[in-house]
Amino acid sequence: MPGLTQPPQAITGPAVAAGPVIAVRDITKTFGETTALHDVSLTIARGEIVVLLGLSGSGKSTLLRHLDGLDRPDTGTVTVLDAPVSRLHGRPLRALRGQVGFVFQQFELVGPLTVLENVLAGALFQMRGPRLGLWGYRRELKLAALGHLDRVGLLTHAYQRADTLSGGQQQRVGIARALMQNPRILLADEPVASLDPESSAQVMALIREIAIDSGLTVVCSLHQVDLALSWGDRIVGLRRGEVVLDTATQGLSKQNMMEIYGRVTTSTAELGAIDTELGTAPDEPDEQGEPDEQGELDLQTFSSARDNRR
Amino acid sequence: MTLTLERPQPGQADAVALTPRRSQRRARPEKVAAGLTLGVLVTASVVSLISVDISLPHIIASWSNATRFFDRVGVISFPAPGELLYLTALTVGLVLLGTLFAAVFSVPLAWLAAANTSPGRGWMVFARFLGVAIRAVPDVVLAMVFVLMFSLGTLPGILAIGIHSIGMISKMFADAIEQIDDGPRLAIRAAGATRLQEFFSGVLPQVLPSWVATVLHRNDINLRGSVILGYVGVAGLGLEMSYAFKSLNYSLGLGIAVVIFALCVVMEIVSSAVRTVMLGFAPTRHGIGDRLLRRIGVIGVSADASRRPWAYARIRNAVWGALAALIVIGSIWICDIKWGDILTFWSYLPETAAKFWPPSFGSYDAPVMLAAMGETIAIALAATILTLLASIMIGSLAARNVAPNPRVRAGFRLVLVTIRGIPEIILAIVLIVVTGLGTQAGTIALAIGGIGLLGKLLADSLEEVRPGPEQALKAAGATGLQVYAGATAPQGMKALIGHSFYMLDTNIRAATILGLVGGGGVGYYLLNAGQGSRYDLVTTIVLMIFVTVVMVEGLAVWMRRVFR
Repeated sequence: MPGLTQPPQAITGPAVAAGPVIAVRDITKTFGETTALHDVSLTIARGEIVVLLGLSGSGKSTLLRHLDGLDRPDTGTVTVLDAPVSRLHGRPLRALRGQVGFVFQQFELVGPLTVLENVLAGALFQMRGPRLGLWGYRRELKLAALGHLDRVGLLTHAYQRADTLSGGQQQRVGIARALMQNPRILLADEPVASLDPESSAQVMALIREIAIDSGLTVVCSLHQVDLALSWGDRIVGLRRGEVVLDTATQGLSKQNMMEIYGRVTTSTAELGAIDTELGTAPDEPDEQGEPDEQGELDLQTFSSARDNRR
Repeated sequence: MTLTLERPQPGQADAVALTPRRSQRRARPEKVAAGLTLGVLVTASVVSLISVDISLPHIIASWSNATRFFDRVGVISFPAPGELLYLTALTVGLVLLGTLFAAVFSVPLAWLAAANTSPGRGWMVFARFLGVAIRAVPDVVLAMVFVLMFSLGTLPGILAIGIHSIGMISKMFADAIEQIDDGPRLAIRAAGATRLQEFFSGVLPQVLPSWVATVLHRNDINLRGSVILGYVGVAGLGLEMSYAFKSLNYSLGLGIAVVIFALCVVMEIVSSAVRTVMLGFAPTRHGIGDRLLRRIGVIGVSADASRRPWAYARIRNAVWGALAALIVIGSIWICDIKWGDILTFWSYLPETAAKFWPPSFGSYDAPVMLAAMGETIAIALAATILTLLASIMIGSLAARNVAPNPRVRAGFRLVLVTIRGIPEIILAIVLIVVTGLGTQAGTIALAIGGIGLLGKLLADSLEEVRPGPEQALKAAGATGLQVYAGATAPQGMKALIGHSFYMLDTNIRAATILGLVGGGGVGYYLLNAGQGSRYDLVTTIVLMIFVTVVMVEGLAVWMRRVFR
């Protein structure tokens, strides 16, 4: 596995100071009648682990797709790794996509192919011409792919058809495919939304572990507030295509969590009050000692209140 | 209906209730036009049926011809075993290579024609139209042209089958691409792959099983159609049969017909078995390779791990692949292709093209040719309506949710498979030769042959209707027939219209070809023109066929859209 994982010291290297890895400026994107993103701006520094939080339809996926050049904004610019993604075409675009790994909610493995072939697809951008079957790939690449499979704990399944794996296993193959790119940025779109709680925990832990080991910048969209709080370093909340929240997770309390939940779900009129409270949230360590039961109770009453409102 | 409406004032209720009702009842003008067209077509079919003069007494009378015929011919005879084996292998090999040719050239066309892979909308329309245009030229005509350009041999047949089949195969390939799960393809794009890499890694693995099924299906059709190519000089069983009939050696001719029939049935069984094996393959995760790997445990990244183990699935795939390669090599060997012809034929191209252009009516005048084309269309319409009536009965009983019990369903499914195995053209030839009838025999042959296809399509469509309404009627105490008439049939109606147009489309092409063996219509003139070297007349006839087929295709597309 030598050379597969980037040395951790990269995070503390001089590159940290050299500007943001991702810079999104005032992008707006509409699909027909619906506005998916409205005037969204966001900068992410190297090595950050960012969670995009929001309900379905809030624009999380669309924003992530813009970062990989899969969608193009109507107005505004997207700069990733100093490249103007929104204006790239052809080879430069593919080269950039090669440096950005993408993990999907529905895993998106090619079912009839073996697990190993699926992982190797992550190396296609380095090659010219198409590949059919395993013999098209160099031995070093195959060994590297097996290394990544070992990393995600699926080495013994390398030659199995991808559609024979369970959901959690398929998602780990998806991660291995992204790692195969040796990416500098990892994008994950609701990576655990289709998984059971146990697999979810495994997959989220794996992504974080890999991110820290390899010094990756991670942008991951989620819709569970508690998971976002415990997992990410920074939360960006989206609601109906607008950024409504951008805060560090460190020091946030259960109370803040409720507010965040409210913020990404409630209407704009109600936001003002929450805004003032939340602005001071990261500097309020005194609320950390709040008992867990209390928090859970809050969550329950909150959700039932929300149900009543519908 | 008025119950669901809000009534602001009691006095206005009726006026409020009536307005939406009237607007609901008023059908779109397009739908009215389509309905009228459908009515006209059905009327035309019935008129055709009468004009072709198919009546029960007529058919019964013709059986006396048949008995007299068999008295004269005696027993049927076959070619010598060695020759028979060679001819059979040659026919199968030729058809296989033709189909393979079509499959290879269909891939780029399908890529252009599929909405999710096409580089642009213009390309998509172009590729789809090219497919329709290719389909509209009968393979017999192509064979005629190629026989002119190449020395007699197998190449004209291979190319004729190959080019004609591209039309259907590319359409089915493109439809398969459009049905894939697009996620994995886009995931590979997100990893920075080129369009070509995306296709090979993301699309091809997903569509391969369905593509192979399509090719096998087309190969069956081509085998059945190859008989007729013999009539224009393509080597194989068809040519031998045409020689036998021309030299009035009826017993040998019928013998070869029986061989072709048996061959088609065997091929149908083999290809459906292969399709089942391939599509039904479900990986078990308990294969030899999997167990071996698991016993070794975590094997670490060693040199051996980079080689794929010979698991059961891999061995099976390799065996199938090797077998397929052997069959292809065998086909090339037996067809004895004169590769030089491919190089030299270009020099004949201008000369040949000059023979075919400009089109003319030759020694006939326009009304005669138009009447002949009209007869062909009448045969197709009459055959389609006969097929439709029979298929509604047989197809319904072959559907799981209509048949009174599984044994009835299995019985009628068997009937359909058997009919599908019979090459229509063989049926037509035998009927024409045996009963001495022309147009009637041709129509009956087409009608019977069509049942195999339309009956199957209808049965499949009926099995796919939503079961909810059926259960609702059953729960309300309806009889089996009431459930069929009240829930199953109405839901299957749209599919029936679509399939019927497909049948008409197929029948017009088939009816053209019937004329070549004495079944009446424009085909007779086509064969005469070809044999009399009046190629300008061939062009005229081909253009007439082309226009008719494209019109029917357009009509079918329109109907499907309106009655969606």
